[in-house]
Amino acid sequence: MDARLTDEHERVQETAREFIESEGGIDLARRQIDGENVVDDLWNELADLDYTAITVPLEYDGFGEGMVYLAALLEVAGRYALPGPLPETAAVAVPLIRDLGTEDQRSRFLPSVADGDLRMSVAVYDDETEPLPGGIRMGAERRGDEGTTEFRLEGTKTLVPYAAETDVVIVAARTREGQGYDGVSLFAVETDHDAVEATRMDSLDWARPMYELSIDGLTVGEDALLGPLHGGGSALVTAMDRFSVAGTAMLVGAADRAVELSVEYGTEREQYGQPIGRFQAVKHRTADMWVDMQSARSLVYYAAWALDEDEPDAARAAAATKAFAADRLHRVFGDDIWNHGGMGFTWDHDAHIYLKQAKSWRNFLGSPEANRDRLIDARLAAERNR
Amino acid sequence: MDFSYTDEQESFRRELRAWLEENAPDGWLEDPELPDDDAERVEFLRDWQRTLADGGWAGVHWPEEYGGRGASLIEQTIYREEMARINAPPQINLIGINLIAPTLIEVGTEAQKQRFLPKILSAEEIWCQGYSEPEAGSDVASLTTSAEPAGDGEWRIDGQKIWTSYAHVADWCFLVARTDDSGTKHEGLTAFLVEMDQDAISTEPIHQPHDDRTFNQVYFDDAVATDDRVVGEVDQGWDVVMTLSAFEHGSTSIYSIEQRYLDLLEYCRTETRNGTPLIERDRVRQRLADFDARIQAAKAAHRRNVSKQMETGTPGPEGSMDLLVSDELRHDLLNFAVNLRGPAAALWENGHNAFDDTSGYIRSYGAWIAAGTGDIQRNIIGERVLGLPKDDKSKTSHRSE
Ligand SMILES: Cc1cc2nc3c(=O)[nH]c(=O)nc-3n(C[C@H](O)[C@H](O)[C@H](O)COP(=O)(O)OP(=O)(O)OC[C@H]3O[C@@H](n4cnc5c(N)ncnc54)[C@H](O)[C@@H]3O)c2cc1C
Ligand SMILES: Cc1cc2nc3c(=O)[nH]c(=O)nc-3n(C[C@H](O)[C@H](O)[C@H](O)COP(=O)(O)OP(=O)(O)OC[C@H]3O[C@@H](n4cnc5c(N)ncnc54)[C@H](O)[C@@H]3O)c2cc1C
Repeated sequence: MDARLTDEHERVQETAREFIESEGGIDLARRQIDGENVVDDLWNELADLDYTAITVPLEYDGFGEGMVYLAALLEVAGRYALPGPLPETAAVAVPLIRDLGTEDQRSRFLPSVADGDLRMSVAVYDDETEPLPGGIRMGAERRGDEGTTEFRLEGTKTLVPYAAETDVVIVAARTREGQGYDGVSLFAVETDHDAVEATRMDSLDWARPMYELSIDGLTVGEDALLGPLHGGGSALVTAMDRFSVAGTAMLVGAADRAVELSVEYGTEREQYGQPIGRFQAVKHRTADMWVDMQSARSLVYYAAWALDEDEPDAARAAAATKAFAADRLHRVFGDDIWNHGGMGFTWDHDAHIYLKQAKSWRNFLGSPEANRDRLIDARLAAERNR
Repeated sequence: MDFSYTDEQESFRRELRAWLEENAPDGWLEDPELPDDDAERVEFLRDWQRTLADGGWAGVHWPEEYGGRGASLIEQTIYREEMARINAPPQINLIGINLIAPTLIEVGTEAQKQRFLPKILSAEEIWCQGYSEPEAGSDVASLTTSAEPAGDGEWRIDGQKIWTSYAHVADWCFLVARTDDSGTKHEGLTAFLVEMDQDAISTEPIHQPHDDRTFNQVYFDDAVATDDRVVGEVDQGWDVVMTLSAFEHGSTSIYSIEQRYLDLLEYCRTETRNGTPLIERDRVRQRLADFDARIQAAKAAHRRNVSKQMETGTPGPEGSMDLLVSDELRHDLLNFAVNLRGPAAALWENGHNAFDDTSGYIRSYGAWIAAGTGDIQRNIIGERVLGLPKDDKSKTSHRSE
């Protein structure tokens, strides 16, 4: 056991930090928020630094690393609320293609992702209010015979992160009637197709825009089907676990920064003739922020490790991560606003950027409540088998 | 990064598990229950510790030359997991084993080690820790119990200690007294090993909310300690206090909390209300899952800390996080467990298992206070981990600092 980041992980974090700082740090996110598209240029640089290749297997020109490595990097990305579909591409799409893809699909997508030529996202929801898996409704009608099979996708996906800034979206659709995840198949859909159109939604988090993706009778061949027909559900669940852990890793990095901001302000800002950080109302609130951040970070590392190692409790650990971190990290950002008094309640103070990100993630891919439900079921099953 | 145990570490676990199967007190593995009667319980626990010591499982973290196993921090973690798994009886001399002996090993004289360590291990001599006084609790450095040289290599001790756990059964006291009051409060303190069996010392048990009497007032009226019972240097007792507090911060109770949670889960699976198992109620599931996630977070954080400490050698102020999280987690969990009884929450005995919840929940209020209150842990995190400005008046105050 050595439950720390390795020296290599720390080096990556350091390099990433220097790089993002040199590009303007959180101003990248602010520019994106102000309506500029910083993703295209930024992505090329991320690719130059090989970040897009991290989770791509060695034989497809990648580094063959897993969630731990990625989480270490995403922590730094989260500190700057870095725009771009890095979690979507590296934590969700690449592992799905790696694990489910045919040789042809892998060599079609993975080396291009590694090179930075291909960005990916994932489309699960068909309804903004219906939780998963019920929220997966789009049908994909199967046509033709063996060898000439085609699928016709029809419907509008919603809450698709960065759809307009990505080349391929992995779409969850139903190929037959079924309960829950049964009957769900996954398709790799190219976004530049005429039948596919992305419309920007009014996302709470302007740094990470969401899109509606309308698919108007798109016919794709069997080579777009990722993994078993009707049987994409369990891989999708694992992919969403990776997504949640990756997203939480970003929030942990942001929370680390929020603690720093509170400590800086608590030391500099004086009221009543003394630094406000000396008042225990502020000091203890900040200590609690740190404890919650460290706890969430510990869960992220554990879950990332368990996912990489295929540990039997990997899904449970991912559920625990989301269940624990979603509201607690959200509160960390809110507490940072409060620690800054009136200054905290301004557009200029960074906490609102993080706060909105945390709120956007909260129910996405499963609320903490839904994850607590999963967690208990998994725990009970594990106890029965003990 | 690796959260798993090596084969070698797993074999440590197997060895311990096999030993416990053989040597746990009669009937314990089926139905863990301590004797009700106070005196019987003390005897039972002394016996248990002796058994542990004979098997080499009392002070696993002590160096081998003093009867320990030189267990690494990771092996100590495994030890805690396994002991929690069978709800093992506590070691009656836990203060001696976990705090005082490691301090003596680090700063004691060779003669002190030879004289005291074996009997700490076997529970032949039980120890208490005499720090707190009526006017010096969190701010322990302001203590006033005095020790003065009385010639012939003797010291005379006068004053009062309070909340001293196990003083009523202890043979020895690890006492901090003021030997010089001319300087600041952290100067002029000295640590002594004081024999409790003297007329000049009287103990008065204090009645606690859970209807037990595990701590005491202790009065010193010209009590004697000899020169060779001074730990470290005279007037340099604060260093010794710091050494000991590092060991206090190095121990975690998260594994026994986890076991308690698993017991509660089992209870919720089998217990019904209006014909429905508790575990099927959404409200119950949500709370249990939140505890589950908090426990997993605390365990993973503990493993990260242990890994760090394996390299740095010293537990950092991060230990405050473990104490704080564990104390509040235990409290919330036991509080919830009582609430689940329904109307029976109004009763002391509500028949779950040997560790009946009601008194455990009340006891958990004491745990939040005992090793430095939650407030003090938050001060330590705010000031020492995060570097926020210190309160002028309480600059380095508690023994945990
Ligand atoms: C929406 C909004 C509208 C406002 N409108 C007006 C207005 O119309 N007119 C106007 O004059 N002002 C207005 N204000 C300013 C408002 O009154 C101040 O922001 C508020 O009094 C806090 O002062 P501060 O921002 O300087 O924070 P600070 O006083 O610097 O506080 C920073 C942090 O330290 C804490 N803190 C400070 N002192 C102590 C203490 N003694 N003990 C414990 N904690 C302490 C605070 O709780 C806070 O968490 C407005 C503010 C907001 C957010
Ligand atoms: C079950 C139990 C077992 C114990 N066993 C022992 C033992 O074996 N040996 C021993 O020496 N002592 C023992 N103690 C005593 C324990 O160490 C003290 O109770 C503890 O340090 C708090 O001191 P106090 O009781 O004087 O409370 P105080 O220090 O008077 O605290 C009262 C309140 O003020 C708060 N407070 C105090 N200072 C600050 C500050 N700077 N910032 C913010 N809040 C503050 C505290 O958090 C608390 O809420 C035990 C206590 C308990 C409950």
